[in-house]
Amino acid sequence: MTAAESEGDGLLRTVVPPGQVRRLFRFCDAHGWTLLVVGAVIGALPPLVGLEPGYYMTVISEMFLFTVLALSWDVIGGQTGYPSFGNMAFFGIGAYVTAILVEDFAVGFPVAMVAAGILAVAFAAVIGVVVLRLRGHYFAIATLGVLLAAQQISRNLDVTGGASGKILLEVPTGTVFYYLFFGVMIAEIAVVYYLTNTRFGFILNAIRDDEAKATAMGFNTTYYKTAAWMLAALFTGLAGGGFSLFNTFVDPQTAYNGAWNVELIVMAFLGGSGTVVGPIIGAFGLHTVIEVVETAFVGWQLVLLGVAIIVTVIAFPQGIVGTLREYASTMEYYERGGMAAEGTDDEEVTAGE
Amino acid sequence: MSETTDAVPGASSDGAVLRTDGVTKRFGGLTAVDDVDVEVSQGEIVGLIGPNGAGKSTLFNCITGTLSADEGHVYLQGRDVTGWPEHKIARAGLGRMFQETRIFGNMTVRKNLLLAAQEGGASVGNLLRTPDEDLVHRTDELLDRVDLGGLADTRAGRLSFGQQKLIEFAMELMSEPDLLLMDEPAGGINPSMLENLISYIRTANEREEATIFLVEHNMDFVMEIAERIYVLAHGERIAEGTPEEIRNDQRVLDAYLGRE
Repeated sequence: MTAAESEGDGLLRTVVPPGQVRRLFRFCDAHGWTLLVVGAVIGALPPLVGLEPGYYMTVISEMFLFTVLALSWDVIGGQTGYPSFGNMAFFGIGAYVTAILVEDFAVGFPVAMVAAGILAVAFAAVIGVVVLRLRGHYFAIATLGVLLAAQQISRNLDVTGGASGKILLEVPTGTVFYYLFFGVMIAEIAVVYYLTNTRFGFILNAIRDDEAKATAMGFNTTYYKTAAWMLAALFTGLAGGGFSLFNTFVDPQTAYNGAWNVELIVMAFLGGSGTVVGPIIGAFGLHTVIEVVETAFVGWQLVLLGVAIIVTVIAFPQGIVGTLREYASTMEYYERGGMAAEGTDDEEVTAGE
Repeated sequence: MSETTDAVPGASSDGAVLRTDGVTKRFGGLTAVDDVDVEVSQGEIVGLIGPNGAGKSTLFNCITGTLSADEGHVYLQGRDVTGWPEHKIARAGLGRMFQETRIFGNMTVRKNLLLAAQEGGASVGNLLRTPDEDLVHRTDELLDRVDLGGLADTRAGRLSFGQQKLIEFAMELMSEPDLLLMDEPAGGINPSMLENLISYIRTANEREEATIFLVEHNMDFVMEIAERIYVLAHGERIAEGTPEEIRNDQRVLDAYLGRE
């Protein structure tokens, strides 16, 4: 344990004992599905008990939207270890496909959204074969290039409306978007949560930790990385599809928003990348703060984002959930003298990491 | 250098899990492995020794598919796996422990072992299944065998180097390979842990779970555990025999003392 970790643990110990943190994690691991159902019921209630379309409903809908984006990023960036700066390309494709189908071809909104998701996945499959051969910084830069290229292409095509984009006149009500983003979010949490405890999920984590070793163990890592990338594209594309109507217009700057790409990475890191609950906490927490800053100190939200990145990377690179889990695990290890004690009270395979 | 007498290319001698036939690997003008034949039979523990730069790790890399041999063939259970990609050779039954311990540090110890289990292959159904009770039970049993029971839910990267080495060994047993290549298993671990490791390897071998081909610099270790030993020097195979024969082989002594 490094000195910095010791000091950090000491500070944490004065606030919360490791035993309590351990119990909390074990409870969450053991009752993940129950907690998800309870969360889904609570989340579905507000419009039924009086929340009207307006500012608060919009902000909450955006939180659901950002949770989808952050969790999608985390599938490839956190669970698989490939830090993508190009996820917003899937978002843009989803947004444009939906806008074009609804506005120019009079296709129904739900069908257009499904088409958006499918096309984003197809795009991810094609691009993934090329960029997923790279790692680390090279991968990050390549994906940023994909995002910028997609933005430029949209800016220069007639079908996408060029630089002006497309305006959508007939859009559903705010309540529809609330449930739409909420539904996509719950579906994604369920899928990702389930996958984290499957062999597929283990392989993604193995690729993140040591891809050469994973290959030596017999895993064709290209296949699994591409699958993770496509899964991220599916939900990001669906979110983009919903956003095009939610926003009532799509233009290259909004649809392929590089600042948003950074924002959703910060959300995942702040909450704890490589975990299921981390990006959710990060998305809700950071979006709340950004909203407050945007309201009270207009124009300072990007400065806040920069500060959030610096603080997170320096002070707790594992994020809120990762730091707490490590704290509980480390203290347990040292309390037992660095070796296992018999009779551990958690025999279940931990889920939701 | 021994001559291969198989009439049919690719056919293995009785019980041979691994056979290399004239494997050669060059890096520019340097021949790192020169026409090397080795054979490991079912149930054996075979050592591979040689001074630094002898070509041991390069030979290992040619066997695993990490490097492709310029000449020669590698047969695993009689199948010619020369030129196969690394992951496909691993799937065909070749396990490998690296010189530096390689485990998945951010995953729990149990997940490391569950990942190593090969049941069901890479079918979509198998990939999307959560581990069943039998499999979890097997991980617990294996962890108990290497005296790491109770650490199943600890993040693997948190463990000591020696413990991580044992985790890697347990992972290999979990995957039930036809042949396990161990690259300097004794490196960097303390004497008492080393004794444990020897006993775990022996037990696994006696229980017919592991046929082992290992590279090792620690002579006491390799002499104690290996039934047969191959010696490489300057990329060539200069000797083969029992530990006793190798200990008294003048060519081996010369190679280690740097005499031509």
